[in-house]
Amino acid sequence: MSKRIWQHPEVPADETTVSWRGLGQLEDTPAFRTWMEREFPQGVAEMANEGDAETSRRSFLKLMGASTALAGFGMAACRRPESYIVPYNKAPEWVIPGKATYYASSMPRAAGATPLVVTTFEGRPTKVTANSLHPDAAGTDAFAQASVLDLYSPSRSRKVLKQGQPAPRADFEAVIAGLAADKSAKIGFVFGHDVSPTRARLVKELTAKFSAAKFYAYEALEGSASKVLGDGVRAVADFSKADRILSIDCDFASLDPQGPVTPFFDRRKPEGKTYSAKPDAAGMNRLYSIESAFSMTGGMADHRLRVRPGQLLEITALIAQRLQIAVPTVPINPADKTLKWVTAMVDDLVASKGKSLVLAGSRLPQPFHVLVAAINEKLGNVGKDKPLHYVRTDAQGLGDLVSLKTDLENGTVETLVLLTPANPVLDAPADLKFGEALAKAKTVIHLGGRSDATAHASTWHVPASHYLESWSDARSANGVYTVVQPMILPLYGECVSELELLSALLTDDGKLVTGEGEGGTPSPAHDAVKKTFEAIGGKGSEPWRKLLREGFHAGSTYEVAEVKVPDTAVAALPASPDKTFDVVFATDASVYDGRWIDNGWLQEAPDPITKQSWDNAALIAPQTAKDMGIYDEIVALETWNGATGPDGEGEHRTAPMIKVKVNGTEIEIPVMISFGQAENTIVIPLGYGQGFDGEDKFNRNAAGSAPASHVGQVGVNSGFNAYPVRTAATAYFATGATVEKTSKRYPIAVVQEHHAMYGRALAREISTIDSGDHKGDFAEQLHNVKLQGNDGHAPPNISLYKQQDRAGKPLLSDPLHQWAMTIDLSSCMGCNACLVACQSENNIPIVGKQQLAKGREMHWIRMDRYYAVDKGNDFDPGNPALVPQPVACVQCESAPCETVCPVNATVHTEDGLNAMAYNRCIGTRYCANNCPYKARRFNFFDYNKRNPLVAHNLYKGPFGEKQVGEAPHLQRNPNVTVRMRGVMEKCTYCVQRLKDAKIRQKRGQKQEALLAGKASPDSAVTTATLRIPVDSVKVACQEACPAGAISFGNKLDGDKSAMMRAKGIERNYDLLNYIGTAPRTSYLARVKNPNEKMPDHQWIGKATIHMH
Amino acid sequence: MANFFPRWTNFLPLKIAICAGAVAGGAVLAFSYYATPKTLAAGYMPSQPIPFSHKIHVDQLGLDCRYCHSFVDVAGHSNVPSNNTCWNCHQHVQKDSPKLQPLRDRMDPLLKHPDFGKPIEWVRIHKTPDYVKFDHSAHLNRGISCQSCHGRVDQMEVVYQQHSLSMGWCLECHNAPEKHLRPLEEVYNLNYSDADVTKYTKDAGIKTTEDLGLKLKEHWQIAPKASCATCHH
Repeated sequence: MSKRIWQHPEVPADETTVSWRGLGQLEDTPAFRTWMEREFPQGVAEMANEGDAETSRRSFLKLMGASTALAGFGMAACRRPESYIVPYNKAPEWVIPGKATYYASSMPRAAGATPLVVTTFEGRPTKVTANSLHPDAAGTDAFAQASVLDLYSPSRSRKVLKQGQPAPRADFEAVIAGLAADKSAKIGFVFGHDVSPTRARLVKELTAKFSAAKFYAYEALEGSASKVLGDGVRAVADFSKADRILSIDCDFASLDPQGPVTPFFDRRKPEGKTYSAKPDAAGMNRLYSIESAFSMTGGMADHRLRVRPGQLLEITALIAQRLQIAVPTVPINPADKTLKWVTAMVDDLVASKGKSLVLAGSRLPQPFHVLVAAINEKLGNVGKDKPLHYVRTDAQGLGDLVSLKTDLENGTVETLVLLTPANPVLDAPADLKFGEALAKAKTVIHLGGRSDATAHASTWHVPASHYLESWSDARSANGVYTVVQPMILPLYGECVSELELLSALLTDDGKLVTGEGEGGTPSPAHDAVKKTFEAIGGKGSEPWRKLLREGFHAGSTYEVAEVKVPDTAVAALPASPDKTFDVVFATDASVYDGRWIDNGWLQEAPDPITKQSWDNAALIAPQTAKDMGIYDEIVALETWNGATGPDGEGEHRTAPMIKVKVNGTEIEIPVMISFGQAENTIVIPLGYGQGFDGEDKFNRNAAGSAPASHVGQVGVNSGFNAYPVRTAATAYFATGATVEKTSKRYPIAVVQEHHAMYGRALAREISTIDSGDHKGDFAEQLHNVKLQGNDGHAPPNISLYKQQDRAGKPLLSDPLHQWAMTIDLSSCMGCNACLVACQSENNIPIVGKQQLAKGREMHWIRMDRYYAVDKGNDFDPGNPALVPQPVACVQCESAPCETVCPVNATVHTEDGLNAMAYNRCIGTRYCANNCPYKARRFNFFDYNKRNPLVAHNLYKGPFGEKQVGEAPHLQRNPNVTVRMRGVMEKCTYCVQRLKDAKIRQKRGQKQEALLAGKASPDSAVTTATLRIPVDSVKVACQEACPAGAISFGNKLDGDKSAMMRAKGIERNYDLLNYIGTAPRTSYLARVKNPNEKMPDHQWIGKATIHMH
Repeated sequence: MANFFPRWTNFLPLKIAICAGAVAGGAVLAFSYYATPKTLAAGYMPSQPIPFSHKIHVDQLGLDCRYCHSFVDVAGHSNVPSNNTCWNCHQHVQKDSPKLQPLRDRMDPLLKHPDFGKPIEWVRIHKTPDYVKFDHSAHLNRGISCQSCHGRVDQMEVVYQQHSLSMGWCLECHNAPEKHLRPLEEVYNLNYSDADVTKYTKDAGIKTTEDLGLKLKEHWQIAPKASCATCHH
């Protein structure tokens, strides 16, 4: 029962560009074809076997008969159950039942706090978004968006543990009181790398009180830059001033921030940030990227060079050498192509002296930071009003993990207080054997949100308050003082915040006060923060109130630090021996270093590059796989289950496992193809494999070090732990690895081929230069954007349906608002922030790995990621262009879904939305079958009510475990229906926000009447009274986007709206324009800004331009 | 052999079939009628923990609706007053009334009642299903009175549901709002009638509230929507 197939024009024989989303599409496997032709894979919508189907049909009829008969007895139950309205006893100030209250706060993070505005409903925080007033505001990323779920996580730690067993909190309080009384205590504190002025102040007080106290900072993925730049010194980039940017394995746009990133994306738009100027390539920046595996930043790059990590230092040294910096110690012997590439690139950097920026990945070893500091100095990029400056943070005088280990072993530290968000027992370099050192301490107190491996190895584990529950402060990237204020008292009474713990140690009696004090006095953390702020922002209630209202103190920044360029005679790194592999221990986009493993939204969000969910896998380049003789096996993972037929495919999709031996240890891990990755390089994301239960069939807990108790329901049985093969010397990458094939296969969930769309040149790309291929210069390419792909030759489509009713009135009749959206592929990097933001705004459930593998993911935004390469590319055919494209419902004016719904559950609203009436939907799925964008999602189960993470739970029907009334349900947005089983759902442009804005606007009528002093029937109401102000309503994805890629607004505002200006420029095109759906969401083609002196310039920006 | 079945039995099966059909059809019709909100919901009059009389407070004392339902014109949800709103007056007024004992238990610290500080659980009378988003402020600020949906609450000793609140009933007004539109000054006046019309117009042609409603609809550009997403999202 395949859907009616639109006859798409065949691919012409002279097509030179190859574009694909997944390996199956590249190899054109039968499995992929089936994904394409159906809205859901075969088997998903059917009974597992004939027997089941037969029984079910019969039992269905039986049950229906029985229920009709029973209906007579049940009449009395038709009266609705009594329900109650429970108002407050004493109404709190500011709370209006049913209305959101917004507070400014921030999320403390290692690279600088993320300033946030938190939405709360009757005290429940439900959604976070960027605080756009903040000078360092740069949108949000997926982690910030998902952090609100952690507050309500069912696997959140909520009890004090002693040696891993629940213990009364009073016992722990006694320990703290004892510590506070002992001024000679040999006590050590381990912080994270986030910067908190109050903590820095309390550290000084602690030093004064405890003469033997020691302080350390540790996070798993920490870098070594501060060892080069100086204690507490960081480099901060100002992307607005950088014309030319070189990233050396630095994912500054996503996982490795180097400063507020929004200005970088603003300069990716040739028409300027708000689309108000004429397109001009001169205003755009140019990004060069040298990296081993595709990062989000590398995908944005104008020129990208793939280099195995073992050779990165050589290339960096080559760049330095071209700039006349002596690098006597590193052997430089690059390939001819590489030399040409680097030479042309360095010339470009030199031509923009003082306006260029070179960034090294913060996790790279020390020599890189030395060379990059010298390069930036040489290029004159450092200083005031320059693209880069150095700042001195409050985090000074903190020891590292190695010194902590020494101090633990020689008894300098007897009581250790672990306040870091890291999990050192799991994630410390394996050769440090930190777990053994930890056992030498007399008392270890671990404060954390999860009862992880470190919690179980500590004497005391104390549940930590979430940042939305506690008072604190932080500094953003440039050091702007930013407050962290609680939205709610800790959900669980035993939770303690970092500052509360430190404050208790500073009191004489050591009394631990958490949440709020007796009689409702504020937490000691509040008083501590207020005291710190008084020194920064002044005394009195006015500055303090301003701080709480705006979330930051304007004008406060870090002091600028002077950095002397160190000696560039750096130690060369060991060369990679022949026939061995380099291994990169990558930062993971879902779990980061493992701390987010229990966050369902992040786990289910597909990795931006590999599109894998719920697990990690070793990634290798296709040519490497062919050389290893494993390519065909991996491709086989994309096909149907041999000849046995399609039933039960989904969750049975597997990947072959390989054994990677490195640093004398080995790890077995499934392997996947990753395009654009350097050859002979294996990328293994870190942070997975923390706990396994009886459902795990791969015996991953063989050593007994990863029991299920170390993780929650979300993270259990997820992925493979790569930390045991990582050493201190190879914290980021290792060389000399060997690989063996195994006969095992592991089931993986990859969404890259789900919801595949027909059509060519879906995500479009052009370049700013004429590269001699008859496609013309920038102006001509801009002009031809609308003619790329099928749109160049497909005849216009004639619709059977009219846009007017029988009386001739337009069906889209609202004269006030007609909503529309643009998505700018030039600034979209594909980072998932919008996807997770949508999930938190619209109550979208997670479905779990098995369901996701079947193609049942519920994300309303599908983050497509296309690769494309020209067949003629002779520079590096293994380095395809990467173009991400978020696709949600595009709100077609002639929507194919609406005409096929038998119950009118999906219909158009007067203001141009393709609305879904969930309560009307009977689940025929005809609409999804007819959607050319595959933007509709179906609730195959009641994912909200039945917990999909309990094994086999969904299939137990009414006997399954329910999760109603549990903490995660407190996160729900009360203005959005929670959908149940059998209902279709999709994006409706956050219709709840649009309605709210309209209703708020209409209240203005009353205000005007009151002000005019006239009787209300005499007060005039105009369009201006009723139409909401230009661009004043923002949808959740738009608000979350750090790149400003999404514009949303009212078409009737005309050019006053940024969205309409974007629609007016030539880059604007409709997705699948030739089928005539007239979508309201349109896309702006990506613009690449190549350098015509580069050897690869003619392949840049050409991903789709040759498509017919 | 005699004719065993008389002639009249020839039509018996047909008659039985017709009768059975009528009975079944009747049962379906009766059930359908019974299952509508008109019979199931309208007239619902539960007893409340405190027998609060709107008649005394609104009709006799002249309290405005918004004294207690204070956020009704700013929020979608019409709040039920918190205990401290009641206590404002009733710590001084009707101090001995046994009807108010639950309030005193909750608000008077001197009584040391176990319920002290707890809210009162009022029984919900007007309820729309979870998938319906009804916004009070949107209606009140555009000239739809409390009375249009809740009836003459000021005359109710015990509040009951007057209208069915079914979707058809909502759409009746969304299709013809003039029957219910009134000047913003009269929204909280549950006593509004044709006699009040002349205060707002000098036009002799406008005599009834509906006439005025029609004029207001034009003047205020009232165009209530009837597409699904207006109430369901």
